[in-house]
Amino acid sequence: MDFRLTDEQEMLRDSARRFLEKECSLEQRRSAPTHGEFSGKRWTAFADMGWLAASLPEDCGGLGGDVVEAALIMEEFGRALVVDPFWGVGVLAAQTILAADREQARQLLPKLCAGELLPALAHHETQSRGVIEHVSLQARPAGKDAWTLHGHKTLVMGGNVANRFIVSARTAGGNRDRDGITLFMLDREAQGLKRQNVRLIDNRWAAELALDGVRVTSEHLLGEADQAYAALEHAHVHGLLTLCSEAVGVMERALWITRDYLRTRKQFGVTLNTFQALQHRMAEMLIELEVSRSVVYRAMAFLEMPSAERLAALSVTKARVGQSGRFICGQAIQLHGGIGVTEEYSIGHYFKRMTVIENELGSAQFHLEQLALRECAGPTPAVTAPHDSGAPT
Amino acid sequence: MDFKLDPADEAFRREVRAFLREHLPPDLAKRGASGFHPVRADQRRWQRTLYDRGWGAPNWPTQYGGTGWSHLRQFIFDEECALAGAPATDNGGLRMFAPVIYTYASDELKARLLPGILKGELYWGQGFSEPNAGSDLASLSARAIRDCDHYIVNGHKIWTTGAHTCDIIGLLVKTQPDAKQRGISFLCVEPGAAGITIRPIIDIGEAHSLNEVFFDNVRVPVSNLLGEENKGWTYAKAVLENERATSAEVPLNKRKLAQLRMIARQERSDGHRIIDLPGFAPRLAQLEVDLRALEWLTLRALTEKSEGTCLPYGSLLKVRGSELVQRIGELTIEALEQYGTYVYAEPGEDPDAKPVWPPGPDYAPGVTADFMYRRAATIYGGANEVQRSIIARSFLEL
Ligand SMILES: Cc1cc2nc3c(=O)[nH]c(=O)nc-3n(C[C@H](O)[C@H](O)[C@H](O)COP(=O)(O)OP(=O)(O)OC[C@H]3O[C@@H](n4cnc5c(N)ncnc54)[C@H](O)[C@@H]3O)c2cc1C
Repeated sequence: MDFRLTDEQEMLRDSARRFLEKECSLEQRRSAPTHGEFSGKRWTAFADMGWLAASLPEDCGGLGGDVVEAALIMEEFGRALVVDPFWGVGVLAAQTILAADREQARQLLPKLCAGELLPALAHHETQSRGVIEHVSLQARPAGKDAWTLHGHKTLVMGGNVANRFIVSARTAGGNRDRDGITLFMLDREAQGLKRQNVRLIDNRWAAELALDGVRVTSEHLLGEADQAYAALEHAHVHGLLTLCSEAVGVMERALWITRDYLRTRKQFGVTLNTFQALQHRMAEMLIELEVSRSVVYRAMAFLEMPSAERLAALSVTKARVGQSGRFICGQAIQLHGGIGVTEEYSIGHYFKRMTVIENELGSAQFHLEQLALRECAGPTPAVTAPHDSGAPT
Repeated sequence: MDFKLDPADEAFRREVRAFLREHLPPDLAKRGASGFHPVRADQRRWQRTLYDRGWGAPNWPTQYGGTGWSHLRQFIFDEECALAGAPATDNGGLRMFAPVIYTYASDELKARLLPGILKGELYWGQGFSEPNAGSDLASLSARAIRDCDHYIVNGHKIWTTGAHTCDIIGLLVKTQPDAKQRGISFLCVEPGAAGITIRPIIDIGEAHSLNEVFFDNVRVPVSNLLGEENKGWTYAKAVLENERATSAEVPLNKRKLAQLRMIARQERSDGHRIIDLPGFAPRLAQLEVDLRALEWLTLRALTEKSEGTCLPYGSLLKVRGSELVQRIGELTIEALEQYGTYVYAEPGEDPDAKPVWPPGPDYAPGVTADFMYRRAATIYGGANEVQRSIIARSFLEL
């Protein structure tokens, strides 16, 4: 084991931190992105710095890194509370394309890496509740190699600016079957596609899509019909891991902002850091942060494992991170007092970002339930009867 | 000991319920239950309705126009009102300031202030906290200098809830700058007076209830001094005690838990109710356990209050009640999933406003705004850390 970053990874992290501190401060994000516009200039900068390519293979225009690179970038995004749709486009959509069909990926991803193609993954539905295989949006056969799409998608991250939508549809089976899911690549202006942009409480934007008989043919297929589950799972694994990594950045920054505040704010003639109750709270926050970071590392170790193992590992991670994040960001507000609940000050935005993360790709509760199901399904271990517990007779 | 509710109190509950059914307009109830900050016009309308019924001031003695109800009846009344979605009445005026006014103020001031509160025409703001005087309130530095029959007030208050819609501010100022508690006086100031500037503070629910208030040579008639000069700290402490007495917010917590139960039955995961997911109901049950414990702690506090209390109930209730409201909020946001992350803009002070909202079920707007705002529940009314110190020092003698 070696938990150190390589020199290249360290450079990536440092340059990301420098860039984001300069270009994506809370002040700057208050203006443009809060209105849902897209900073094309900044996106181009992301592309130029190789961030969109960092975790993609070379034959697809990438730089040949793996999920670690995206995770590092996302951690920095978390620290700075960046609102640009890097996760939606650069992780979820990009990884879906990569895993769906390598040939198509070779065509599409170089354009994504260059910042020209902006696909968004339209997979989540109101009743998915964290279940990856949940797809109820219907693809009804309409002649040979043709379908019409009927249904809704929600929380399409970056959907407000995306120029393509990767829509998951049910071509066979029931709502939660792994077989029978098909991906279609739709144009932003496709006929019968209605889009409503929604601002989230962390000032990122998503879209709700209503598809009312959108016509598609085999030309719109991404990957093979009925076989999209594996690609979606792959994208979710990357999505969850990078999301949790972002959460670590959120928690860490919230913790240190609070530490600095306690050292300067005075009440009763002394700075707040002198109160032991607050020192202990901060110590607890640090413990929560570091256990969370540890389960993110652990999830990395499980990435190449069989599906059930790696999903379980990610459930451990998402559950732990959700609980720690709520505690750390909630207490970060608490220790600030009144200033902490104002929109103008930064710390409340860390709490809001954590709240959204908690509600994305399954809550801590959902992931606990997945683990609980595994507990119940596991084999019964051999029981030693109490009377022959090994005690000398 | 007798642990049962008096049949007369049960009958009283039914009477209140019947009144609410008949007199609480549905549009008020809908906005009242939404979670957005109460609309002042709704509050005034509702207070007037209660006044006309003779129920304008549940916690006042009859001689000032109050109902003279026992603490228990007040509690029942508040609970029924909250469950029905009635707009919050003026907690500041009715419960925090009025008792101090009728206990300490001159007859002239009583006659000037109390009837307006009763009719919903005189809403109160609490001008205590300052940027550098939060938990350490006694270190406040706003100044009032006597000039014949006026005080000239200068200073900077912050976190003044409702300063932008209230009619009068209960203001703490220093009349003797060198003495700490002993140099504080209590003035009643109209927010429209010359020299006052009010700056809104938007909270993390993207809503407006908080303000900064700047005083620049504001002239306040000496007749607006409450009680005696330099005795303001005594009055302020009484106000804060009154604030904490209701800070378990059992009625509010009950309404929120009822709302959570409703949402958990409506929201679906592939057709299944959220409440049927294996992990959900146990957490709901835990909240029920904690709510019931809090409810009975409150009942003890109310009953013993009539008999002279010894436990620092206010602080016990404040800590648990504020934490509970946050925990109920957390589970509600989880139940709403993506609708818990959408921004549903606050409709604001116009009751007829028709805000354009993102998609979502009827019950979504207001939940997240309130969840965010309630992060402050463990801060306002004396932060929970400070309450714990009070418990440790005053009762446990640590
Ligand atoms: C939503 C909201 C509404 C409010 N409404 C009003 C209003 O209408 N009128 C009004 O006058 N005020 C109002 N307040 C102000 C409120 O009373 C103060 O915010 C509160 O007293 C805390 O003060 P502070 O914000 O300055 O925090 P600080 O006093 O700076 O406290 C910061 C942190 O340090 C902790 N701390 C402080 N001292 C100690 C100690 N000795 N030991 C351990 N921990 C300590 C606190 O618990 C807190 O966690 C409101 C506040 C909020 C958030």
